[in-house]
Amino acid sequence: MAGILKYIAGIETPKTLVFGITGKQGKSKSRLMRKFGTEIIAGCTPGKGGQEVDGVPVFNSAAEAVSAFPQLNSAVLFVPAGAVKIAAIDALDAGLKFLVLTADGVPAQDEIFLKEYVSTKDSVYLGPNTVGLLDTEGYLFGLIGGSATWAMKNYKPGKVGVVSRSGGLSQLLGAFHCRPNLPGPRADGSYGPLWGDDYPGLSAVLCVGGDPVPGISMLDAAIAFEKDPRTEVMAVYGETGTTQENDLASAVMNGEITKPVVVFLGGKFTKAGVSQSHAGAMIRNENETWEAKQKALLDAGVTVVERPDAVFGAVLGKLKES
Amino acid sequence: MPALPEYRTRILLERENVPLVNGIFVSPGDEYPSSIPEMPVYLKAQIPGATSRKKHGLVRRVDTPEELQENLDTLLSPGSWGQAEGVLITNGLDLRDEYYAGCMLDFGSEDNLPGGILLFSTEGGSGVEGRSGTLLKMRFSLLHPPSSDRIKKELKGLEGLREHAAVSEFLKGMISTFIGYKLIVLEINPLGVLNDGSVVAVDCRAEFEKSAVRKADRDVFFPPGLKSSRDLTELEEVVELINRDDPSGTGFFRQNRETPSEGAFRVATNLCGGGGKMLWEMTTGSRTDIFTMNESDTSGGLSAFKSYRILMVILAQRDAQVLLLTGSGMAFQNQHHLAAAVWKALRESPTPLPSLLRFGGTDEDKARELFERVSGTLPVRVKTYPAVVFPNAMVDDIMDMAGETTETVQRYKAPRGKPEIIVEIPPGRIYFFPQKWRNDEIPPSIKACPTGFLQWKNGFLHTDPEARCIGCLMCETAALLDGNAEILIELEMPEVVD
Repeated sequence: MAGILKYIAGIETPKTLVFGITGKQGKSKSRLMRKFGTEIIAGCTPGKGGQEVDGVPVFNSAAEAVSAFPQLNSAVLFVPAGAVKIAAIDALDAGLKFLVLTADGVPAQDEIFLKEYVSTKDSVYLGPNTVGLLDTEGYLFGLIGGSATWAMKNYKPGKVGVVSRSGGLSQLLGAFHCRPNLPGPRADGSYGPLWGDDYPGLSAVLCVGGDPVPGISMLDAAIAFEKDPRTEVMAVYGETGTTQENDLASAVMNGEITKPVVVFLGGKFTKAGVSQSHAGAMIRNENETWEAKQKALLDAGVTVVERPDAVFGAVLGKLKES
Repeated sequence: MPALPEYRTRILLERENVPLVNGIFVSPGDEYPSSIPEMPVYLKAQIPGATSRKKHGLVRRVDTPEELQENLDTLLSPGSWGQAEGVLITNGLDLRDEYYAGCMLDFGSEDNLPGGILLFSTEGGSGVEGRSGTLLKMRFSLLHPPSSDRIKKELKGLEGLREHAAVSEFLKGMISTFIGYKLIVLEINPLGVLNDGSVVAVDCRAEFEKSAVRKADRDVFFPPGLKSSRDLTELEEVVELINRDDPSGTGFFRQNRETPSEGAFRVATNLCGGGGKMLWEMTTGSRTDIFTMNESDTSGGLSAFKSYRILMVILAQRDAQVLLLTGSGMAFQNQHHLAAAVWKALRESPTPLPSLLRFGGTDEDKARELFERVSGTLPVRVKTYPAVVFPNAMVDDIMDMAGETTETVQRYKAPRGKPEIIVEIPPGRIYFFPQKWRNDEIPPSIKACPTGFLQWKNGFLHTDPEARCIGCLMCETAALLDGNAEILIELEMPEVVD
């Protein structure tokens, strides 16, 4: 069975290029990704072409790498924020279909530029400011889990698709759906194990990132999970800032999304104009407030919970209904 | 967002050939300018982010050289506005019209690609958004910026505008500046029209992102010699020093400058990673009945030695009532090591706080077990939570524990004598007391060393030169829990924190 990338970028089997593979982060995360099952074919660091990292050949540019390995279809960027724009353009121009931009602190103008640039290509990108994507079919882009052993221990195949604007909650919402006997608040108001050893499990975790201009939006991710036959319910972390939750609500309202969606909406106490943990969480207009988003989601019939531990019981309820 | 004062914004505009009113910049300590524009002139104190400068007397018209000298001296001296970077002296122009021009970012939506927005109004002053007829609001692409011809077309029909060619050329230069320096906001207000129909920027300002500043432009955005306006508190200075001594991982700490509302519970926080910070802020930390004393982020593989030092600072915050520690709940970093740091800080700090500790990640069970064993020995109450309990579920406990008094704290006494081992990175001193371990077995403290750095050979402590001390505190923890306090670790603070 194909993983979630089939529905995001039309990719059945990712063949991946790692930007920044010669750096500390790139090297260690490449090891994590490969150990988890991602097929890394080449690396790219300008000026370091010809080297090898753990047996992976390094090229000076994406074009050179694709010329040597035409089967390449995806890339992950472990490069500093200031270098993301130029590296992403390189990857997009080389024809790679799916990119993951992990860096935090990418200038807003670069994000806006890339969003327009990618609209002229037949490609998509996840991020910036993302921990990446993990699919229980056996591939991982980015840094979810921190180590392959930890990732394999915590993320197991199943029925829940996770979409999140937060790296921490991407990892947490994913892992807790795979934890036997997970305790939490139940529908009847009691607190205790929500399920036994038969946890719901995961199809994939997709962190759209915490920045104001994400490449793949929450709605794009939800549409992919809508098409993914493994996914029965979506567990979503949304927050103030941007209109991503509002767009998701509209899609549920107009029938574009039919699978059940449970949203933990963070930022109830966020004040307008005040920056929070994520640059994208800043409220810039009245549509971006917690109240406006909650109303839009509830009006569309989405289950909204106000505390993160209530997600799991709500997901269980949806699974029982389906 | 950081702001650029007028005189530095002018440098960017000048580079893009945007016409400016003549001006001379004078910084504190400079000699009286030898050539000054013709009287009258305007003196403008240069303070990043300052608003309503006229109202606060930071913009002054002067008509004589005597007035100029006197006002220059005043504005260059520290005043209620703080210390200005300098004073910009500009011509007092006879303007035929005053317009407004601004560039900002449009973050887009599901239906619209993001881009830039140009605002232009034939009425100067603030509050342009509410105007109709005299306001142009034009979206533009950062990928394909508009030509002056396109801008000219857009300006057609705007009430009160006569200088279409000059203004469109001016706005093109303004957009080039906005894009060229990746600014967040660029505002020219007023954009002055002279009697001959030419246009000049009379006043301007910009906001920018630090991460967007190119190396070549650093002198404009962060001028050398300019006194730092970071405004660090004493405790923040200590954390700066901790980071200097031990650069491992992330050690971020910033105190809340606001005043807590009456009756709010004052919570000192040790937030681990972006996930911990996000979880706290988005679920609990922004509640009106809770006052978060500080932001923090201890993550990215920092040693327990460093965690301890930053915790000592967090605990030293005056008026804090409780300590709350949380990460995302999925930490790859060892939670048992973090717990050892918390335990050490709570027993050695002169100002320990009742603590709520949420450990989640590798060895989280061991972290909680540690506190099950030691919490009765501490002068404050400690509650631990598994990762499945989120900060929002701790609110009642926060309120409950915030009212608790601390038992008398025994003053911490550093180990005496010469340290057995001095660890340079991360910095720490390991003391071994052979008189406390006289049997033949390997002491628990040595067994607990995860890297093999500490070795036990023939009844003596050795270190393995091939191995490294990672500053995990496992040796001291085991010595205190399962041994005979045969090993103690001293972690000096850069400055006394109490």
